[in-house]
Amino acid sequence: MKYADMAVPSRALHLWRYTPWARIHPASVADVPEASSIRFNVLDGGGHLVDGAPRILDGNDIARVFLSELGTGASTLVTDGNSSVVHLQAVASSHVAVGHLHLALTNDVSVVLHLSGEADWTGLHITGEVSPNVRAGFGMINELSANGKLLHCEDWIVGRDAALELAELSIGGFRCKSDVRTRFIASGSRLTQAISVHGNNQRHVDHHIEIHHDVPHTDSSLHVHAACDDQSHSITTGLLTIAEEANHCDAGQVFKNLLLSEKARAEAIPELEVLADEVAAAHGAASAPVDRDQLHYLMSRGLDDEEAVALLIEGFMQDGFSTLEHQVLVDEMRTRLTVHLECELKR
Amino acid sequence: MSDEAREAVGDYRFGFHDPENATIRFDKGLSEQVVRDISALKDEPEWMTELRVKAYHHFIEREMPDWGNCGQLNDIDFDNVTYFLRSSDATERDWDDVPEDIKNTFDRLGIPEAEQKWLGGVTAQYESEAVYHSIREDLEAQGVLFLDMDSGLKQHPDIVKQYFGSVVPHTDNKFAALNTAVWSGGSFIYVPKGVHVEMPVQAYFRINAKNMGQFERTLIIADEGSIIHYVEGCTAPTYSTDSLHSAVVELIAMKGAKIRYSTIQNWSANVYNLVTKRGLAHENATVEWVDGNIGSKLTMKYPAVLLKGEGAHAEIISVAYAGQGQHQDAGAKVHHLAPNTTSNILSKSISKNGGRSSYRGMLQVTPKAHGCRSKIVCDALMLDSDSRSDTYPTMEVGNSTADLEHEASVSKVSGDQLFYLMSRGFTEEEAMGLIVNGFFEPFTRELPMEYAVELNKLLELEMEGSIG
Repeated sequence: MKYADMAVPSRALHLWRYTPWARIHPASVADVPEASSIRFNVLDGGGHLVDGAPRILDGNDIARVFLSELGTGASTLVTDGNSSVVHLQAVASSHVAVGHLHLALTNDVSVVLHLSGEADWTGLHITGEVSPNVRAGFGMINELSANGKLLHCEDWIVGRDAALELAELSIGGFRCKSDVRTRFIASGSRLTQAISVHGNNQRHVDHHIEIHHDVPHTDSSLHVHAACDDQSHSITTGLLTIAEEANHCDAGQVFKNLLLSEKARAEAIPELEVLADEVAAAHGAASAPVDRDQLHYLMSRGLDDEEAVALLIEGFMQDGFSTLEHQVLVDEMRTRLTVHLECELKR
Repeated sequence: MSDEAREAVGDYRFGFHDPENATIRFDKGLSEQVVRDISALKDEPEWMTELRVKAYHHFIEREMPDWGNCGQLNDIDFDNVTYFLRSSDATERDWDDVPEDIKNTFDRLGIPEAEQKWLGGVTAQYESEAVYHSIREDLEAQGVLFLDMDSGLKQHPDIVKQYFGSVVPHTDNKFAALNTAVWSGGSFIYVPKGVHVEMPVQAYFRINAKNMGQFERTLIIADEGSIIHYVEGCTAPTYSTDSLHSAVVELIAMKGAKIRYSTIQNWSANVYNLVTKRGLAHENATVEWVDGNIGSKLTMKYPAVLLKGEGAHAEIISVAYAGQGQHQDAGAKVHHLAPNTTSNILSKSISKNGGRSSYRGMLQVTPKAHGCRSKIVCDALMLDSDSRSDTYPTMEVGNSTADLEHEASVSKVSGDQLFYLMSRGFTEEEAMGLIVNGFFEPFTRELPMEYAVELNKLLELEMEGSIG
């Protein structure tokens, strides 16, 4: 289907309820504006980029169709198998920037993508395939400029007996809409996904996470931690489906929001659709202010009010990544988070 | 019952129906004239007629919801529904005066027996209007008003005008508009300041005719410091064609008042049950919904509470049982509009024989609502691989001092529990029945004992043949 033939999605759908298509589109919804390409570079590690990428496209989703029509350039990361870590950089400049990155993960590897740039609007589509028996990790650090908009889609396919870890640290951009979808195509596979969001000023961060268990014996775990300060707004919608034949799946989602100011807002909608009975599926969501007992404990150790709160925010956000096993991802996320919080909270 | 109907609805205990002896029956279909005729027939004040007409136009213009079970919703043929049917010329206060055939129906359901034993008052609604209504003398002497809604409008027009549509306006949703246009029957209750109605009052709703639409309207106002417990039950006969039940319930709990509204919905499996229930809780008031959904083809019902006054509390306990061909799309909504308000939501659902149960909830904390606390727990039990369970909870938090928790789980009956019970001599079916009853126990313990026993029996019936 072409973008021009698609209707603007209804706000009755949770996916578009809080960030309607018109608010994340770079211009008016009827337009497909001129766009320049995001520059992808391999910073270090064992891999190189080649032009072109296979299409893994949900033809019914307006964001993916729009991104595919907006940008013609695409890159594929090919890992060389000798190194277990690859650092990638994606730089978005100009008014509207768009890019498609494909990751063919055929060996045990951790890939870290640093997304930065001054573009007013960034469209990023990441697709990935994890080969059978591979233990792969992909982490993205969104450190776009503070006044940019981001439309970010990810589509992952996880092969037999493979394990995928996805991590995201969202600290950049003014308005961000992320839609990350993972599908298990063979049994024995596993997904561990962790997202930490820091909302400050008037940041609006909307994450939609879909995990589809179409086959039996697949496990997934999703943890989203959002710390919302000032007048920021964090939204997390999840859709976890377990197909009728997908018995012996174990799936869980936890959404936690830490509310730090009177005008901060957070929404959590962890949806569950279960058609098989031999499964364990659960989700949980919680929103709360900073725990007074924890604050009191830290202040009784000599920290002042601001330092104690900052430490609790850092701990809360870092805790989001504690379920990951790829230590490189955990370290990258935590280091960048610490630097970010030190800059932000000292202002 | 025809074979076709039996196949459609299964073994439904209340599936009998009596010959239809209508004194007034409108033709099928809805038009502005039908709406005006219903109002004229009831000799209503002009403001109500105009409200009905306005609601009718809103209903026509409003799109069908594009969420939930859209497929089944779009199957509703509004032109094939009878919107008004009067079976009795008067609302009787003496059971002996109720027309014989109607009395037989309620006798079979045990209404007069229950009334003698433990009810503070009872309304029995048959088709569109109440046919029997009574209230205990001591409550009447205390100034408690318990009337069917039509009588309430006639005898207390000022109170009805003040509160009717104040919690659920006709523009709220398509089915609230339909109800406002064609409402008939339901209960009207006013509890004066400080009066505690210790015995529950009850309404019983029965659809008897084929392709009938029942659109009762209930309005309960508990004045400052008062307490009331209202219980309703619903059944219908089994036909091969569908019936529509689209009620609106409005509860208003003034400062320090408490309203508990308990429902056991056991419509036959050819009834669309599309109900809007909402309560408004003022300062330190409590509104409780205890909601059991056993029957119907499609239920879409989300009891809601608006916590408007500081310190108000909402409690919603709901259970749903989705058997073959059923979709129970139930849930709860709580809007924390004022500081220091609290809420507690517990939802339990069971899916069996290809049934589908969905929890759809909304928890909202507005920016001015400081210090709110809420806890939501959703548990779903799947009894076979043909069934389905969904949860669609929404939490919108606009205040940093709110403390909210939500947890949900979907599982099947534990093999260990089954094994334990069977090793004590129970058959697999008995063991499964015990586990299901235990699963619903947090709900049944909130019901009056007679209802709890009835619910357990209903579940046992539903569970029959569930093994093998």
